[in-house]
Amino acid sequence: MRKYIFKRILYLIVVFFIVSLLMYFLYNLIPSDPARNQLEALKSSLKPEVYQQMYADLRKQMGLDDPIIVRYARWMGLIPDLNGKFNGLLEGNFGFSEFFKKDVIDVVVEPMKTTIFINIFATIMALGITIPLGIYCAVHKGSKFDNFTQVFTIVGYSIPVYIIALIFIFLFAVILRWFPVSGMGTPGANYTGIRAMLDRLYYFALPLIVMTFGSLGGMTRYVRAAMIDALSMDHIKTARAKGVKEKTVIYSHAWRNALLPVVTLIISWFLGIFSGSVVIENTFNINGMGSLYIKGLNNHDYELALAMQMFYTVVSLVGALIMDLSYGLVDPRVHVDK
Amino acid sequence: MSEKKKKPSLLTHLFGNRNKEIDILVEEQIQSPGRMMLENFLHNRLGMVGLIGFLAIFLFVLIAPNFVPINLGSSDATQTHVPPTNGMLRVPNEMKGKVQAIAPGPTFGVGCNTDGDVYIWGYTKITDKIDVGNIPDKVKKANIIDVAAGYDHIVALDDKNNLYVWGNTRLGQDRIPGELKSSRPSAQKKVTQIEAGYQISGALTNTGEAYFWGNGNMADIDVKKEYQGRIQKIAIATYNYILLLDDGSVVYGGLQKNNAFTRIPENLKSGVVDIAASGDTMAAVTENGKITVWGNITHKEDQVPETESKPIEIYGGRYHYTALMENGDVISWGDNEHGQSAVTANVNSGDIETVFAGFYQNYAVTKDGGVHTWGLSGHPLGTDDLGRDILTRIIHGGKTTMTVGAIAEIIAIIVGVVLGALAGYFGGTTDLLIMRVAEIIGGLPFLPFALLLSAIIGTRIDVQMRMYLIMVVLGLLSWTGICRLIRAQILAEREKEFVLAAQAMGVKEGTIIFKHILPNVLSILLVQATLGFATCMLTESTLSYLGFGITPPTPTWGNMLSGANNSIVIQQYWWRWVFPASIFGICTICINLMGDAIRDAVDPKSIGR
Repeated sequence: MRKYIFKRILYLIVVFFIVSLLMYFLYNLIPSDPARNQLEALKSSLKPEVYQQMYADLRKQMGLDDPIIVRYARWMGLIPDLNGKFNGLLEGNFGFSEFFKKDVIDVVVEPMKTTIFINIFATIMALGITIPLGIYCAVHKGSKFDNFTQVFTIVGYSIPVYIIALIFIFLFAVILRWFPVSGMGTPGANYTGIRAMLDRLYYFALPLIVMTFGSLGGMTRYVRAAMIDALSMDHIKTARAKGVKEKTVIYSHAWRNALLPVVTLIISWFLGIFSGSVVIENTFNINGMGSLYIKGLNNHDYELALAMQMFYTVVSLVGALIMDLSYGLVDPRVHVDK
Repeated sequence: MSEKKKKPSLLTHLFGNRNKEIDILVEEQIQSPGRMMLENFLHNRLGMVGLIGFLAIFLFVLIAPNFVPINLGSSDATQTHVPPTNGMLRVPNEMKGKVQAIAPGPTFGVGCNTDGDVYIWGYTKITDKIDVGNIPDKVKKANIIDVAAGYDHIVALDDKNNLYVWGNTRLGQDRIPGELKSSRPSAQKKVTQIEAGYQISGALTNTGEAYFWGNGNMADIDVKKEYQGRIQKIAIATYNYILLLDDGSVVYGGLQKNNAFTRIPENLKSGVVDIAASGDTMAAVTENGKITVWGNITHKEDQVPETESKPIEIYGGRYHYTALMENGDVISWGDNEHGQSAVTANVNSGDIETVFAGFYQNYAVTKDGGVHTWGLSGHPLGTDDLGRDILTRIIHGGKTTMTVGAIAEIIAIIVGVVLGALAGYFGGTTDLLIMRVAEIIGGLPFLPFALLLSAIIGTRIDVQMRMYLIMVVLGLLSWTGICRLIRAQILAEREKEFVLAAQAMGVKEGTIIFKHILPNVLSILLVQATLGFATCMLTESTLSYLGFGITPPTPTWGNMLSGANNSIVIQQYWWRWVFPASIFGICTICINLMGDAIRDAVDPKSIGR
């Protein structure tokens, strides 16, 4: 097992470098010249020859003339930069955001908290609804309620989340006026403590409902399918024949077996929601990772976007690892290292 | 068999009736797998609903764009945020047979009948606050004999020579010149003609004097003294006007020295019988029936059709003209985006007495008082913030969305099938390499990566190329699922005897993979393709919604919704998001229903899952 984890982590690191190299190349396709940008202000006051000289010097100083692979290594922190220090991604230097005029790390912290908060909350809410619903539908397969849920879930996962958001805003914010249309807190209000928390929840309620609702369809179907498979196994028949209580059959005998695919789903879904909340954050004007990423791309703040892209990549890679390992944890029959 | 056998109707055939008793021989009959799948599929009600729904939408977006042309660059300030309506040409019954005057506005029509009552129809709420449909009480009481409609105001004249203005009056539209106010006892002048343009109005008196008032910042509304007293008729374009003088000549009456209208053609020095103005051009008819058009010609306003009879009167719309012939026929020419220059056949029966034209509407009044109309009757699904018709954009947007989704999915299938087949059949290093690549690409966070590619490459290429880019990006990012599936299937099929037989016979490996093995996997591929098509459409629309997919003016169902996420649009301009969202939602639901049904049909084990 340990050997397997070690192998997987090694593999993960290789993939990380390949992907980051790919990203770095991609971002370098963007025509931009930081040296020229820095000198543009001085251009008119200098003689052309002096300007050219300064420009060349600055390019050299910034290391812009080096081959891209060298620049990549420097950015990564694999080789020392021009000042002789290791100062790259691996050392915790995520770059400088041109748009916010701040280090990327400082820009990202606050939105990341928000995003993680809403994602964990939405995950909990979605699981709290889908697992009981899925089990109920599987146990009562073919009933009216089940058929209705089946159709309803198809509708749920077919409609893009932003349309669900529009409908919910219309219903709950515009017509019923239960929730605010968008934003993160009452403007101008300086609440503290519990009051601030409640205010935040009030503003996050609608996005959270939409996120939960958007994931109900796919997840319910998945839980139901896993549960039906589990219920059709032979040992369930044996258990029933023995006269085990139906509750025990369902929640102990069957559910444990259904758990494996469900855990896979939960993790992959939780990862998907990180990038998926781009749409929700954008629609509800929430200052999260997703809207920050869009802002970075829209304002050509590519160092910010690159750093965030790396974050998304790491999250998905680590997530895949956890998913594989969790098979073994959830289901003792599975030997992941074989 | 004495019992009369009931022939299954089309409906029971399509939607099935599984409960009927069948003969044991029929029930146990051996069917080919393909036939069984088809039968299973045809018996799935939801699947059939999905199939029919999808086909209907598919055919609609495939065929309808050929009949509804779209002008991508169009934007029309007079038609912004018009709700779904169809009544812009609906003349009230009270006016039928007693038409005194009609004045078409941008989205409404105003008219008065011979009893002196004023009626307004169409969409009258010009802005949030201004509704020209609120006819002032004084006007209701007065005996109105003439009306004129500008962009956002209405001018009316009563039989006691009083002028009334309502609608937008914030820019001096109601500042009627003192000379025209009948309260002054000395005023002997009687108004004979009223006209209106963009925030300006004009009136002509029986003494041959013209007066213009309203927002003079953009419009040239002063009148040269030398013409006063000789004026026969006025015609107002958006910001300018021309005059017809008593010597039969046309002059530009304003003070501006040099604009598109001051250069009046030479042949209009005399013998002019009628003048008219469109939004940006002027037109005049001479005695010999020749029509001359000048100004900023943008919508073929100068292409007057050849006619046998000679025109005697001319009327101007926003981008078109309508002329009445000596024999009572009517012709229209110029822009035909809203059908405003397509004269309906029943108009030309030769009994037209007069025509009222303006903006995009035409009203032809017959001698017995009937009213024929043609032109813009409304927007069935409303318009957006640039005055573009939502229905047209939905039709064309559907075509784009489906094309992009389909091509992206085809790319994904081709790449996925080829790589999956190679990996599955050859195994070993090939398999390892391909699957690692698939893992990396599958592991990339999809949406951020697609956003990134679109942002980096998309900014430097034109709209058309950007569309191809989106297709390729979507295709190249979503093949991994299919690849994995095909590989697994081929791994299973590879071990079967028929492959061994083929190998023993010396069949080439490529032929074995693609001709012997692949057909066995087709049914599963079909399921994947159907569901993947819906996913690709969803992704494209999400990208477009975020502004990183296909960008306006090219419509897609996604980017039509991208302007809709604020409370004002959601609440007040609901038609902007409800219609695109509904058709898109229905379309993806239908595809998914269909995909599920195909899966159930292909894999009988999955039924009930």
